[in-house]
Amino acid sequence: MKLRILHALLLAMLPFGATATPESVAVEGFSHVKTVGDVSEYVLDDNGLQVLLMTDDSAPVVTFMVTYRVGSRNEVTGTTGATHLLEHLMFKGTPNYNREKGNNIDQVLEAIGAQYNATTWLDRTNYYAQIGSEHLELYMAIEADRMRNLLLRDEDRQPEMTVVRNEFEIGENDPTQVLDKEMTAVAYLAHPYHHSTIGWRSDIEGVSIEKLQEFYNTFYWPDNSTVTIIGDFDPAEALGLVKKYYGAFLKAPHPIPQLYTVEPEQTGQRRVVVKKAGQLGVVGVAYKSPSARHPDQAALQVLGSILASGKNSRLYRALTDQSLTTDVSDYVGFFHDPSLFNLWANLAPGVTHEQVEKIIFEEVEKLKKDGVTQDEVTAAASKKLADIAFARDGSFNVASSINECIAAGDWTLYYTLEEDYGKVTPDDVKRVANRYLNEDQSVVGWFIPLVPAAE
Amino acid sequence: MKTLRILLLLATLGLPFGRAGIAENIVRDDINGIDLITLKTGVKNVVTIKGTLPLGHAASPVDNPALAMLTGSMLDKGTLKHDKFEIAQMLESVGAGLGFGVGTETLGINGKCLTKDVPLVISLIAEQLREPAFSPEEFEKVKKQYVGALKQALDNTNLQAADNFSRAVYPLGHPNRKTPTTEMIAAVERTTLDEVKAFYAEYYGPAHLTLILVGDVDSAAIESDVTKSFAGWAGGKLPETLDVVGGNLDTAREQTVFMADKTNVSVVWGQATGMRYSDPDALALRVGTDILGGGFSARLMGNVRDKEGLTYGIYGYMANDNLRDGDWRIWANFAPDLLDKGIESTRRQLNKWHNEGVTAEELADRISGLSGEYKVGLSTTDGMAGAILSALQRGYDLSWLDEYPAALSSLTLDQVNSAIKKYIDPDKMVLIKAGTVTDVTNK
Repeated sequence: MKLRILHALLLAMLPFGATATPESVAVEGFSHVKTVGDVSEYVLDDNGLQVLLMTDDSAPVVTFMVTYRVGSRNEVTGTTGATHLLEHLMFKGTPNYNREKGNNIDQVLEAIGAQYNATTWLDRTNYYAQIGSEHLELYMAIEADRMRNLLLRDEDRQPEMTVVRNEFEIGENDPTQVLDKEMTAVAYLAHPYHHSTIGWRSDIEGVSIEKLQEFYNTFYWPDNSTVTIIGDFDPAEALGLVKKYYGAFLKAPHPIPQLYTVEPEQTGQRRVVVKKAGQLGVVGVAYKSPSARHPDQAALQVLGSILASGKNSRLYRALTDQSLTTDVSDYVGFFHDPSLFNLWANLAPGVTHEQVEKIIFEEVEKLKKDGVTQDEVTAAASKKLADIAFARDGSFNVASSINECIAAGDWTLYYTLEEDYGKVTPDDVKRVANRYLNEDQSVVGWFIPLVPAAE
Repeated sequence: MKTLRILLLLATLGLPFGRAGIAENIVRDDINGIDLITLKTGVKNVVTIKGTLPLGHAASPVDNPALAMLTGSMLDKGTLKHDKFEIAQMLESVGAGLGFGVGTETLGINGKCLTKDVPLVISLIAEQLREPAFSPEEFEKVKKQYVGALKQALDNTNLQAADNFSRAVYPLGHPNRKTPTTEMIAAVERTTLDEVKAFYAEYYGPAHLTLILVGDVDSAAIESDVTKSFAGWAGGKLPETLDVVGGNLDTAREQTVFMADKTNVSVVWGQATGMRYSDPDALALRVGTDILGGGFSARLMGNVRDKEGLTYGIYGYMANDNLRDGDWRIWANFAPDLLDKGIESTRRQLNKWHNEGVTAEELADRISGLSGEYKVGLSTTDGMAGAILSALQRGYDLSWLDEYPAALSSLTLDQVNSAIKKYIDPDKMVLIKAGTVTDVTNK
């Protein structure tokens, strides 16, 4: 019965109105690489640009997204936050599109009602717009143009630096974000996941326009990026537009630098304490976990859910339901390189950190020793599968999910992870718990509130 | 992220997909007093459920502001048939989500599930609304969790600025006026389970329940499911609300909420409008306000952020006006050492906008942009269900969803600039700053 539920969920995963694997289209200048599920992959032969297409005509809307395989993992001391600052400067214009001409990207996209933005994360930077299908060429032209023609002026960097610094300051307002940032910094000694994507304040303030130009000229090339188009469009026409606008660029004149730093094995628990004004304490526990592409990823995601997602999770029952925490949550990293398996507990008034930390470790050890039930696995896997189905409600949601798989190094994870959830067994969950949830490879963080922040 | 964009107008405009109108595809039934609305869209297998009862915070009596919240919070803590873990297990085993949330004026019901699980989710909505167990143990847990959440909110500069703003522009008894945290905590602690049960018995029922299901739906099957699940449920009463309107309070025009160790100051600056969303001049003022503060290319972001680099985010918008008269506000973030500069820059833009109005070119661009935003926004089941719910709350017939683009396009420059002059007065606005502000001002 449990398996039938999972199978039913898997069948329900077909996105939008798709009912059969789409046929690839032949457009001169492109090679069809493969089709998996409803997504067809092409490469623009002249410059190596990867293109992913998925059609859906349930609404006359399309999402166009370009993902650059550069994130804060590509930064070093002195340039932390540079990827993100560059992302902001990507909106400052090119010789063809700029505010002085009245056709800056913000002006153009807001006039057509686009939902658009850009984000930077550990492994990637993406730029996107969800628009009426009739505007696809308009947006593609302006998006492609900034791949290689960005103005990147210091007169733009100066005011934007303070904008980004304010974004940093907003994050610092939240004690949990501060604790997470410090726990991550302690977890990684060598690997650049050590620093947060927004960077250190002094680097945000100090990075020069020359460094940002160097960054742009190192990573912003067709052969280091993927174009994803999801929604109501004609594939052959779309590929024609991609060729028209992105075919104008050569591939990078240099090899794209590849990160070779590997985090050394952690040999003992590390602890972090953050003390600031606040109301209630927080306890976080982070264990080292493998990359998104690792075969254990699905079992780890299920494990995280069993431990701390929903009312039936182990920690909800042991902590929140006992009025020791206001809530608990899990976050299992899904990144290109080995990551962190995070558990969070927000303390209820009057409860001590020691008390909650002790229970978290007791519950983890109990799970490692006794394993989990089939019911727990079924519920957790079902939640993950349903989340995938829900994330296919709308072209932007699909593109966003694929974007994270591109960043992780394999866009087909969009489908294979879903298949893997259906195969996770209680033995798998117990095995990965014993393999990864080890105290010696953990970081414990406490946020200790000092005084009431407001009354 | 370039910024956290507020697409406040997304759910406010109507534009069908150009293939068929929205209203003509909606199926609407009255089932035992329940307003049931279903709409099939192109999405496969996914259904979004939204519902409301008029039992938000505003339904609480004056002497106990916590009562509606505590009652609503007990709905998912077990029923006479199943405890909360069994209900969670039923939902989790099929990956469905279902939650109840107490808002300013309504109890919200939010669900998402696969098509095959719609009957289960409807039955659980009915069971939790009709037969809450009101266990004393769960009630004590709910009280503790709510007090914890209230204390956590004291750490949040945005929430503190917004809460204090509400008390500066809305009089006592107005639904949009937030109860001070200390008073709310005291109310939570003194509330008894008997009071919650009495509140439930008096107000809960099908009479004012709205349920909206959008996505891959079978309307006839849903009608049957709702009929079966809610059969025999009776009652439901609108809470009494005071006939008070926002504005004209004798309060300090500038207020500081000091919060230690904060690296960012949240600012809310504005006034009550006395208008509901559906009032005749509201659309003109809304579009005019969007030109000032609606997005990246709006005047506030274009100048205070892009040109001067003083903030990560600054927006102007109208809020809290679906069901009652609402407010007009600018919301912004500033570093403590750029606060004064940021406020002055904002004031320049506000005064210029108020004194000179907007241009014909700006208006044409915004009308085009807002129409496009809604077209995009309706492409998900969430967006569509939200738009339908908003239309109903605003008192419109569902045909409004299709008629809106025409109303938008017919706006004139004179209407917009007249509305700005008529309803907005920068000299009467209230400015709230929440954060580590050393120059504490209350004047």
